[in-house]
Amino acid sequence: MMMMITDACVYPSPMGDSSVRRMALEARELGFDSLVAIDAGISEYAGVSVMSGVQIRHTSVQEILSRIKCQKGRDAVVMVEAGDSGFNRAILTMRGVHILCGVHKTDRYGFDHIAAKMAADHRIAIDISLAPVIHGRGVLRQRALDRYLDIARLYRKFEFPLVLSTHARSVLEMRSVREISALASLVGLDIMDIEQALGNAGRLCTPERAVRVIQ
Amino acid sequence: MTARPPTLREKRRYLLVHIVPAGYIPDPKELSLTVHDAVTVLWGDAMASLVHPSVVAVENGCAIVRCRRGMERELAIALSTVTSCGNQRIALRTSAVSGTIESLRERIEPVHTTTEPLSGEPAEYTINGCLFSVCHCAGQKVDVIEKGFKNTTRFFLTREDLEDQ
Repeated sequence: MMMMITDACVYPSPMGDSSVRRMALEARELGFDSLVAIDAGISEYAGVSVMSGVQIRHTSVQEILSRIKCQKGRDAVVMVEAGDSGFNRAILTMRGVHILCGVHKTDRYGFDHIAAKMAADHRIAIDISLAPVIHGRGVLRQRALDRYLDIARLYRKFEFPLVLSTHARSVLEMRSVREISALASLVGLDIMDIEQALGNAGRLCTPERAVRVIQ
Repeated sequence: MTARPPTLREKRRYLLVHIVPAGYIPDPKELSLTVHDAVTVLWGDAMASLVHPSVVAVENGCAIVRCRRGMERELAIALSTVTSCGNQRIALRTSAVSGTIESLRERIEPVHTTTEPLSGEPAEYTINGCLFSVCHCAGQKVDVIEKGFKNTTRFFLTREDLEDQ
């Protein structure tokens, strides 16, 4: 399967100040093949594939289950905001969840070796948002970098899928593939890990299936 | 003071940086302070002194930023963390690295922009009941600003977005 270099999360208008078409146009210039846009209304623009994303945050496990049921058959990338340790472990066993995001906001025990093993077993990706690295200053950035270093350490041991995203709300917040690679190298990911992570979001919606014979 | 011979001079590298949004020309002094701040905040004072960043020129929507040879990566990473210059939201996108300013100047493309997105169409649009004026237009990209005394937020759209309205 061809690898699609993807920004795993952007927020187009009305959540941000840029239209989804403009973000796709910008993504093409920045070297991306596709992007996951929250509540996007189009599937492709300017040769860039736009995957619709759904972000679920600050809610109960029951609520998340019902929202995942609503998304069945829609081909949307489902992202759930991480919470405490118990919540994350419950999320990491759910079918229909593609990405666990906001792990940098949780404490060190929120995503530990058990959660890492669960993510690897259920092939649920962990999102490394570069927004706190780009926009954060001081303690906020240091804490995010520290959490990502820990995630990178667990990633090397358990090999769960990683995705990289900018969480851009504007074209001004989008970064090129080269810039994302350089920023991701700050958290201890090598070039192979980064390539893998950039391609993972594209694989989430089209998982590898057994070979079929088509007559 | 006599100039040092070339062999004793410090080796430098120059980065060509595109300033986004297009059409915004920052004050070189302010941009220099922004770059210094970004390098210092990300890498610390000791590393910043090794990087030794300096804004050499701001022209045609681009900036040329100088650093010590071998520190290009550190400077480029720091530049990607720049989010504002003064009160203006910006992004700095590194597009080339060279050993001479001249070779970077050759790479700067002339900017062809207009404020009329579609020929014969007015440069003002009503989106969701609000009046917007076109402030920049290049190819498919159209930037609009909401008309008003207080609100000067820039919105980033395409021609198709405007045609849909």
